[in-house]
Amino acid sequence: MTKSVSEVVARGQDNLDQAQRIAAGSRRRRYMAVVVGWVGFLGLWWALSAWLGSEARLPSPPRVFQEILIILEGDFWNQFWASIVRVGAGFVAAVLIGTPLGFAMGRSRYWGNFLQAPVVVAGSIPGLTYAVMAFVVFGISFWGPVLAVGLISMPYVAINVAEGVRGVDRGLIDMSTSYGRTERQVFRHVVVPSVLPFIFAGVRLSFSLAWKVGTLTEVFGSSKGIGFQVRRNFQLFNMPAVIAWVLLFIVFMLLLERLVLVRMERRLFRWRQWERDQ
Amino acid sequence: MTAAPLALGKGPGTPGRVRRILTSSQGAQATAIVVFIGAWQLLTLVATRVPGPVEVTQFLYTEITGGSHGGIITGQFAEHFAVTLRHFSIGLFIGFTAGLLAGVLVGSFVIARALLNDTVLVLLAMPAFVWAFLTTMWFGIDWRAPVLTVAFTAFPFVAVNVAQGVRSITPELKNMSSAFGVSRWKQFKHLTVAAVTGYIFAGLRFAIIVGWNGILLSEWFSGQSGVGFRTRYWFDANRYRGFVGWVIVFIVFIVVLDRMILNRLQARAFRWRDPVEVKAELSNPDFDQVGA
Repeated sequence: MTKSVSEVVARGQDNLDQAQRIAAGSRRRRYMAVVVGWVGFLGLWWALSAWLGSEARLPSPPRVFQEILIILEGDFWNQFWASIVRVGAGFVAAVLIGTPLGFAMGRSRYWGNFLQAPVVVAGSIPGLTYAVMAFVVFGISFWGPVLAVGLISMPYVAINVAEGVRGVDRGLIDMSTSYGRTERQVFRHVVVPSVLPFIFAGVRLSFSLAWKVGTLTEVFGSSKGIGFQVRRNFQLFNMPAVIAWVLLFIVFMLLLERLVLVRMERRLFRWRQWERDQ
Repeated sequence: MTAAPLALGKGPGTPGRVRRILTSSQGAQATAIVVFIGAWQLLTLVATRVPGPVEVTQFLYTEITGGSHGGIITGQFAEHFAVTLRHFSIGLFIGFTAGLLAGVLVGSFVIARALLNDTVLVLLAMPAFVWAFLTTMWFGIDWRAPVLTVAFTAFPFVAVNVAQGVRSITPELKNMSSAFGVSRWKQFKHLTVAAVTGYIFAGLRFAIIVGWNGILLSEWFSGQSGVGFRTRYWFDANRYRGFVGWVIVFIVFIVVLDRMILNRLQARAFRWRDPVEVKAELSNPDFDQVGA
């Protein structure tokens, strides 16, 4: 009748082992599927390019890979860095314009109504408009992409900041005031930390859109950057290079999003760690 | 009393009624429009190359009514708009159907998800102008370039949203329905369709926004007709009033379609959900994952 403790523990250990085996098995199957997915994708591409039989239409994966190596050995970092700096400066502009607008929208009902329609319309404008506008204003210049990225991201920042300002804990402000904190202190230690995540969320939401518009602006008015390179090779009718540049762009954009943004997010929201742990 | 409204209803001398009207939500929105047009007019005084609101309105009138722009160039609004609408709807249909299919597969089967997830991710990250370039290199200057640009840009957005919708169906509700003997057809109608409709709609909205941008780019770079082509035509001719006029046309088109029509339809599709929650969701323009 009575089971010894060791028996129960052994049974438990067995169950755990079994569960882990099943989990590992399903994990392995999933990894396999991902690998098969990539192989299938590349295989399809290769078959299609062989069937078309034309380098100018669809070059084979090895041909594109070769092109990627050439670009990586050449001035890829130079071009990529040029794009990063512009898009980064554009985000700074978006935060600088969008944050005050968001504060106004969140604090006052009047300004909320006043700015609602302009911000919504600004968020629906096709990227082509901003790209051409930036080109008209600045010509071939560093500032074109900065302006375009700033304009396209600004509505996201403004709307998120407005949301954040509306969500600041009234109780916390009341308590701080009744304990004799100055307005400055309340702003610095209550309002700013609660709104900061929302500014970041705005940048985060517009990240991929901003990159796309940034490169599109480089297509129109730039002598450097990834967009310029894609356009140049399009005009030279160099299909392998177009695909190679685009693939590099996508890979590095996704990496940037995963590595840099996720890390920044963690650093900015360290103070909320306890909240997440609970 | 006559000068008071300029103080945005905050001046102490403003009579209560005027002030109430000006500070109401419609009043604030109307003020925003007036301020915008005023700022635009002021800008034309500083930068003389920028066409003013009157000039642009005149241009649009001539373009829409088919009058003469001077010389033999006549307004061709209807022709170009019809071409774009035709290509846009064909491309949207292709991209939406393919996205729906892929979304259902990815949402229903773990294997399909593992197979297609990365591909969809890459497609999501692809800028629309790249599709415009690629389709031009494939098909030349041809109707297939704009149609396929729309299809390719719309596809991943539909797929992602539909997959999310399919995954959102709760197995508990399904099990309970089966236990209480609800027929298969009723389960499909009241559970699956109800859960997925909203997501399909969200996917369609994103598809329309990104597809519209895609077709404009494709026509701009390699079109022989269409809205994007006509916009570029005036731009290249250095007639900025034509450029600004057409930009206004394509912005108004997408804003009216998205905010006034689709937004309401989506609210209807979601009417079985908590209305307060839905209202909050829809009134916030989350242009989440919109691509350019």
